[in-house]
Amino acid sequence: MTETIVRLRLNQQQLELMDRTIAQGVAADREALVRLALREYAAARAVRAAAETAR
Amino acid sequence: MMSRQIISEFVLEPGTGKAIELLKGQILRIEQVEGGQCADFNCFNLHDYKEFMHCGRTRTVHGFHPTTGTFMWSAPPRERAMLYILEDTVGRNDVLFPRCSAYVYEAAYGFAVHTNCHDIQAEAQREYGLTPDDVHDSFNLFMCTGVDEDGHAFMTRQTSKPGDYVDLLALMDVLAVPNVCGADVMKTSNFALKPLKLKVFAATDADLAKVPSVPTLASQRTPKDFRNSAIKTDRPLRRDPAYEAEFPNTPIVVTELPVALAGDELAMFNAVKRSDIYGDDDAAALRDLLFSWWEERFLQAHAGAPSIGNK
Repeated sequence: MTETIVRLRLNQQQLELMDRTIAQGVAADREALVRLALREYAAARAVRAAAETAR
Repeated sequence: MMSRQIISEFVLEPGTGKAIELLKGQILRIEQVEGGQCADFNCFNLHDYKEFMHCGRTRTVHGFHPTTGTFMWSAPPRERAMLYILEDTVGRNDVLFPRCSAYVYEAAYGFAVHTNCHDIQAEAQREYGLTPDDVHDSFNLFMCTGVDEDGHAFMTRQTSKPGDYVDLLALMDVLAVPNVCGADVMKTSNFALKPLKLKVFAATDADLAKVPSVPTLASQRTPKDFRNSAIKTDRPLRRDPAYEAEFPNTPIVVTELPVALAGDELAMFNAVKRSDIYGDDDAAALRDLLFSWWEERFLQAHAGAPSIGNK
């Protein structure tokens, strides 16, 4: 399966926030957190777009 | 205490203000006499005047028109709740406009001298040794304002009636400085200057029970935490040759985090990424997505505002 690598650039404060979020059990690691964010962010936009279309 | 006890009463005549020692657990009522009068309001920590009410922080937490159930906050790095708005019978106040000043009346109206909130505040707080430079932006009670489509703040007439009031409960000992707004050639107070009544009460247990708890955090620093806690007593600024910068969390170090996106994830990303802002920089777009998501999922306050337990 083809994968595309996106190289995020994050400073130590941004990484700290990610790590504290991970420590709450939200995701297994940093990469998993980014994937979760992508899925939930995209899903939320899809719901909004559907609601706007239905108006 | 079961019922409120009046400690003092005072009528604030047009063109005047009054500095009042308001102790923790006391309530200052600012009341309309004739109606339609704006009251500018400032306060300082009674035991350290360098801690003062900050409209910027207050409007960030509570919006442009704080009313019943909101706090007046002190400036960073103190950021403490100084007063609680216990009751507000009108519900329209302003933290957008600065206090009016002599300059406004000279520049816009040609007055050599005119009542203005800056000078009234300065004169009132002079009783406690403060200077005109110690006046700061005021919380404008009963003032009806908004923001127009061009992004300018505007004011319009107010609807307060005789007997309308705002009750401010002190959460620390403060020097409270209300004044009758000096604007009689603007809509602020419906083109007139009128008196205001001030009453100080001792709060009842029921009053105190209405105050929500707010967080106490390590970042709320006081002079004991400052690298330089001495109040500068002369006016010129001179470089300290011994100064060595100690900015927090520096140097800022950027680390690369590779994220492998599968085909379906890439499609999702391409559908929502902000190419309008980041162009071809997918790394910046994914970082934006990550922290935008975090704000949506975890932030308990409006973006840029401290969380105090409710949004």
